[in-house]
Amino acid sequence: MNPEPFLQIDRVIHEKGRLAIMSMLAATPELSFTELRDALEMTDGNLTTHIKALQQEGYIAVAKSFQNNRPLTTCSLTAPGRKAFAEYINLLEKIVRQNRPK
Amino acid sequence: MQIFQFLQADFVLVNACFATQSELMHPNWAEENLQTIRTLMERSALYRRALAPIMLFAGVLGVIAATLGLIFHLDSTREFGVLWLSASIFVIAGAFFIARRQALKDNESFWSPPTRRVAQALLPPLTSGMCVSLVVVYLMSGDAGGGFNLLLTLVWLLFYGCALHAAGFFMPRGMKWIGWIFIGFACAFLFFLAVVQPKIEINSQWLMGFFFGVLHLAYGAYLYLTEKKNPVA
Repeated sequence: MNPEPFLQIDRVIHEKGRLAIMSMLAATPELSFTELRDALEMTDGNLTTHIKALQQEGYIAVAKSFQNNRPLTTCSLTAPGRKAFAEYINLLEKIVRQNRPK
Repeated sequence: MQIFQFLQADFVLVNACFATQSELMHPNWAEENLQTIRTLMERSALYRRALAPIMLFAGVLGVIAATLGLIFHLDSTREFGVLWLSASIFVIAGAFFIARRQALKDNESFWSPPTRRVAQALLPPLTSGMCVSLVVVYLMSGDAGGGFNLLLTLVWLLFYGCALHAAGFFMPRGMKWIGWIFIGFACAFLFFLAVVQPKIEINSQWLMGFFFGVLHLAYGAYLYLTEKKNPVA
């Protein structure tokens, strides 16, 4: 078995909470904090921690605004985040192909 | 884009949990992760086209149909059925036209995965409602009058409520609640009719006008005031 794809896996994305956040954001231009929290059934603290980790890596952008006089936090994938996510999927597909019985 | 080709690929959705670092040696972890990613992407891709114009259009047509029914006394079951079935066909055609125009304006594909899912959710209850109505309209020779009109109205409210509720799984902004209002009222009224058996004379045009006209207008106005300026599908 070729170990190369395993070694290339992005450790920031390859964590179930962060991978779930990246997956959700990859299919939509932006999602609010509450939409992410409700869809993924995460606690506020857990989601905040993962969002911070992804933000520090430059994978997601966080915007704060107001809607109907209430604070609204929205998250979206950045271009590097989208690229990293696409590369992660490529690697997974490579590993799937590699593991398939010939 | 590759991610979206992946989203549209024909995977079977099995596992809802990611395999993570400690499970790298599990032979199927990568495949399971891909499936989970796809599930999450599908769940995330909500139908976010601006609904306000569609709701307002449906509301205006509902009010017009009710007004026509009241002015021209279209009270036989056949006239009543044909009037509202025609109105529903105009509303569906108009909603498609408005949604398509929005997609073209935003340079996006109209028949996107979220649009497809909403259409798939709407189809069974709306088709069922349409079939039941056609059968009733066909069976009634035109002289049955008020009782059947009321029953037809409540059946339409039920099916339409179910359709909105089903579509609400793929849409934000309280669509499910509107569905529950239709379902709840129809069930309560059916129960009231069956148990209390009141001798009441209700012109079903008013009921239809209120639910399919005024309620849509009110919801459309609410959405118009709260929707973001540049929604996306």
